[in-house]
Amino acid sequence: MAKMLCAAGLIALLCGGVSTAAHHSVSVNFDSSQVLTLTGRITDVDIRNPHSQVTLKVTQRDGTVKEWFIEWSDRNALVRRKVPFQLLRVGDMVTITASPSRRLDNLAYFRTAVLPDKSVLRDCGFEAFRQAIAKGQFVECEPTRPSSEQSAPQSQQREQR
Amino acid sequence: MRKMVVALLVCVVSGADAQDKRAQLDGVWILSGSATIEMTLTPAGEAARARYDYLRDDPAMQCIPASFTRVMHTPSPPIEVRQQKNEVRINYEFMDIHRRVPIAPGTPLAKAPVSVPNHPHLGRSVARYEGDVLLIETIGQRAGILDTLGAPGLVQSNEMRTEERFIPDGDRMRVVVTHHDPVYYEKLVVTYPYQRLPGGEILPWDCTPEEANYKRFREKAK
Repeated sequence: MAKMLCAAGLIALLCGGVSTAAHHSVSVNFDSSQVLTLTGRITDVDIRNPHSQVTLKVTQRDGTVKEWFIEWSDRNALVRRKVPFQLLRVGDMVTITASPSRRLDNLAYFRTAVLPDKSVLRDCGFEAFRQAIAKGQFVECEPTRPSSEQSAPQSQQREQR
Repeated sequence: MRKMVVALLVCVVSGADAQDKRAQLDGVWILSGSATIEMTLTPAGEAARARYDYLRDDPAMQCIPASFTRVMHTPSPPIEVRQQKNEVRINYEFMDIHRRVPIAPGTPLAKAPVSVPNHPHLGRSVARYEGDVLLIETIGQRAGILDTLGAPGLVQSNEMRTEERFIPDGDRMRVVVTHHDPVYYEKLVVTYPYQRLPGGEILPWDCTPEEANYKRFREKAK
């Protein structure tokens, strides 16, 4: 599951040959070994090429509001994988898990989003997509009910995998 | 006499087989696994690579495809191959590249048309067949960055000549790209495995520099 969720980061490892991994633009910029959990209100959703972006306003423990930028796959890939990204709506409170940027403290790479109805939006990833194609199947990343662990996320919690 | 007839029949049948197999190349393809890179750089190639800074030097951040090698390294956008009698059309979803290459054996490369008019730096190409393999040769590629993803920081000189071999295998295809560049490489061969994407189509990419550039993060993060 975790592998599927962070597929974008793993693409470099899986597709790149000898020297790809260390320099892939995703893995260079984001640390896929870390998971950041952010609860906040969506202020912008831009599903586009070459990278999509979700903007989230997160109220921090001291009461100040921090704006987070969540990078995601390109629009065409999300469309092909039938990821229902339209479930991310401006104004909604959501909890997003993401890989933190290696350089910036308000930038991360999308993994999952717990939506207002508690369903979990996820991206099956390119690897799952192409494996399904090879078997003559198609991938549809249906939202799933969260596990008990995911249903009580804490704002800006950083977990080590 | 009988031997000659048999030999002629064998030639006709194998020619037809090659043609059938060539037709397998037509379709929409996605990468099915790791691209493999075999490379030996010259000292100049090593030095150029050491100077590479992706935030400063990656043409993709300006929506410019560095090379077909770079384009094919992008994992998720598919490519489409369509062979016609006198031309092969290859559409790459990444960066909206529409490439037209004449199938014209014997045509001097210097007289070939640029294959992507809005990106002339990708060079002049001519195609021909080697049995069932589609071979595209290219020159006239502008000196600069060759790859920023598979092996980031590879560069190319304007002396580079490239051969791309599209090798059919049913619902699989291999594209073997051999770069001959005496300035920067003793050897550079990249092999891409593809699988057919049933019902696949090439979607618009519509890249804009302000969205492709990581500068937007640096600015917004301030």
